[in-house]
Amino acid sequence: MIEVGEKIKQHALKAGFEEVAVMTYSRESVMVKFANGEPSVVQNWSDRVAGVYLVKGQRILGTDIPIHNLDQVYKTIDSLLTMHEKIPPSMLYAPLPSPEKHEPLPGLVDQKLLNAIEDPSPVSEAIVESANRYKIDTFAGMVQLTYEQKCLVNSKDAQLVEDSTYLKVYLRSFAEEGSGQWSLGSRRLDMKKIEEVAETASRFAYESRRQEEYPPGKTNILLSPMVAGNFFNYIADMATASSIMMGFSIFMNKKPGEKVATEKLTMLDDPRNPELPGSTSFDDEGLRTYSKPIIEKGVLSNILHNTKTASKMGGKSTGNAGMVFPRVWNINIHPGDHSFEELLAEMKEGLVVTNNWYTRLQNYIEGTFSTILRDAILIVKNGEIVGAAKKLRIADSFPRILQNIVALGKETYDMYWWEVDTPTRTPYILVKEVGTSKHTA
Amino acid sequence: MTWNFEDLVVKAVSHGEKLGATYVEARYHSISRSGLSARNGEIIGAEKSFSQGIAVRVIVDGSLGFASTSSLTQEDVLATVEKAYKKAKSHSKLQKKPIVFSEERLGRVTYEATAKVKPEDVDFQEKSNYHKELWKNVSTAISQAKVATMTSFYGESLEEKIIVNTDGAYIKSRIPRLSLGYNVVVSLPSKGVIQRFFSHAASGGYELINQWNVHGYLPEDVKTFEKILLEATKPPVDTPVDVVVGSEIVGLMVHESCGHPSEADRILGREAAQAGKSFIKPNMLGERIGSEYATVIDDPTIPGSNGFYLYDDEGVPARPRYLYKNGIINEFLHNRWTASIFNTHSNAAARAMSHEGEPIVRMANTYFAPGDHTFEELIEDIKFGVYIKSYMEWNIDDERWSQRYGGLEAYLIENGELKGLVRNPVLELTTKTFYSSVDAADKNLAFYAGTCGKGEPMQGVPVWFGGPNVRVRNIKLRVIG
Repeated sequence: MIEVGEKIKQHALKAGFEEVAVMTYSRESVMVKFANGEPSVVQNWSDRVAGVYLVKGQRILGTDIPIHNLDQVYKTIDSLLTMHEKIPPSMLYAPLPSPEKHEPLPGLVDQKLLNAIEDPSPVSEAIVESANRYKIDTFAGMVQLTYEQKCLVNSKDAQLVEDSTYLKVYLRSFAEEGSGQWSLGSRRLDMKKIEEVAETASRFAYESRRQEEYPPGKTNILLSPMVAGNFFNYIADMATASSIMMGFSIFMNKKPGEKVATEKLTMLDDPRNPELPGSTSFDDEGLRTYSKPIIEKGVLSNILHNTKTASKMGGKSTGNAGMVFPRVWNINIHPGDHSFEELLAEMKEGLVVTNNWYTRLQNYIEGTFSTILRDAILIVKNGEIVGAAKKLRIADSFPRILQNIVALGKETYDMYWWEVDTPTRTPYILVKEVGTSKHTA
Repeated sequence: MTWNFEDLVVKAVSHGEKLGATYVEARYHSISRSGLSARNGEIIGAEKSFSQGIAVRVIVDGSLGFASTSSLTQEDVLATVEKAYKKAKSHSKLQKKPIVFSEERLGRVTYEATAKVKPEDVDFQEKSNYHKELWKNVSTAISQAKVATMTSFYGESLEEKIIVNTDGAYIKSRIPRLSLGYNVVVSLPSKGVIQRFFSHAASGGYELINQWNVHGYLPEDVKTFEKILLEATKPPVDTPVDVVVGSEIVGLMVHESCGHPSEADRILGREAAQAGKSFIKPNMLGERIGSEYATVIDDPTIPGSNGFYLYDDEGVPARPRYLYKNGIINEFLHNRWTASIFNTHSNAAARAMSHEGEPIVRMANTYFAPGDHTFEELIEDIKFGVYIKSYMEWNIDDERWSQRYGGLEAYLIENGELKGLVRNPVLELTTKTFYSSVDAADKNLAFYAGTCGKGEPMQGVPVWFGGPNVRVRNIKLRVIG
């Protein structure tokens, strides 16, 4: 793959581009999707693609393209060259940085996972068996196993390769009126952890099998790692410089050093954590990644930059480069010191919300949003779970939620699914006086 | 028209047959895109991307297998067929109910949508200058508030497919599309911020840029956003009022609360862990969901639409689908698998996003049937109410029952006339309440573009959704904040 990247780079330089970066990906992935307690489809992907970054006269151009046919890649690069004359220099341009000493990240490949890509049926059988151990009506979900090799070459002579594997699994169980959903993202295939996903989903389904109305209004809420993962995906993305520049961030009018959350909250961008599927040792500009707090003890600590945004806004790259814009690698919320029972006791009255979807913002700068809760919503009275609630929304604002965090659990969970797109390690998080809403008729 | 890789598609199908699959389908699918993005009129960059590959589906011993490759050599394509076959076979032992497809008359045709003005014939400089001019017009439109930032993006694409299957389908299609979108933030520190994110998209060519007329209307919109910050009052939330729901919201509502719950695969639980299930159960055809004015149609065949196609990805000819008809649940959206379960015929809803996706049940262009009122007639007998023209925040539960829309531009209605602006009204109601409360719709059918997400991995497909302005009676509103 390095050779392919080099060929593309050489062609682009010869054609007349002044700066070039080529990130090639080779992927083999298999996914088994389940519905009504059985596989609905088994899917397999084999792909070799490249993202190519090109600069001439400070104009930025790029392409994503399959690399099986290099003539087609060259043709695309040549046509981008003719386009460059038609656009002005980029407002975001900065030179590619010089490569740093590469520090590889060991432990990103799991041989057991690699073998299972060839025949995932034993994993599927284990999922069907473990989900049916509990008193549920049926289950749905998926398991995906992926091997990926990424290679970066650029005109600053970076030549970097990284192999990795990852697992993504989520299952949703149904029991009478109730349902429960749980997920896991990991670099390794660990059958015990997959079984725990099935167990948690089924337990929540069973606990919510009978539901009652719960009045909307302000209430204390314990966010499960599924919901916390979703919220912090939004909040971490808002800490990228591109979100701030483009008007998609609650941090648009904030600066590092300002208090944005309760001091109990510390949130990292954690690319050096080899257990989470977003881990990587180098970014798309060839810089070494490092783990860094986005919010540390409630204070905004770092805006996530690549060289371009850092140059525009002042500062230096944080090793978060995507091809053009910065990105978050992994989110890691530091645990607190409460057991689950202690969190319930601290809450006294309120709700445990186990899953959500459709988080949508009225306004990214003010952070006003609503999200609809799905699956088990557990009612807590006198510090104990006493029942389950029918569907509700959380309707509040992210700045207020960040300020109202009361306590965090001491156990963490590694979440990765549709609504938690950036792998996130997080505990349960207790937030006081959260706004909830429900249809009026 | 020349078509590459047609022979490989045919070979993939016959290879799957030889392996012993009872059904084989191969689809060459390519999408070429180019576009550019700008912030405050300054270009960030331009791109020209391309995805292509062959996707294969097989049924083996009642189990469904899918495999996809971007390597278009004969060796790799045949290996892809073998992967689909092998993995389907190894999972057949877990299959309780074998996958079967409905019998259909499948198409053998070639068709394409046309671009009146081919985007590649338009100088790229003109496309680049568009953003600079737009920023100039928008940023100078207001004086008290400030346009804090505006991101704009332009895209053009061409989608090509060759679909062949063992049941006789042989479809070749080519569809050009154009898109133009923006995110604009209007700020007045003492009053807060208004944000508007909006996209146009349709099949066709560069002629669409003039039709959309963003240069013409966006500066006016920004003036309205400034006015919202300066003048808007709190909407009435204490007692139910009559509400005129703007066509932009009606379009989203029918997509979310009629189109999605009418997807037969959701009704059968196939998307239960992803996009969810449906409040519509398999035996609910013929049940009442709304008033006689509530008719919702999904029609892939609308020329120039974003969701345009004439044959679906299983080769079934497309037609309009009357999902809710005069308030009755009338028809589900089917592919050949769901049609076989319901003992009916597919109505051609199978679509895939790219060569990386399996065809699943999708909407195309979904709209609320227009009525016979003018807008003035719609509001003339409202003593006290609210007209909500546009939205930002919205969501709906995974059974598509409880839905919420945060109004952006909204007005009080008093004694049949539009009065002052109200800020952040929220329409939060059930699907049945909405469709049952409609007592009139105006004639102004308008469509809005979107990318509809569904499936695993997530597949985003181009759609339109639309409708007229619709009046609902006696609805209690909420407010954000």
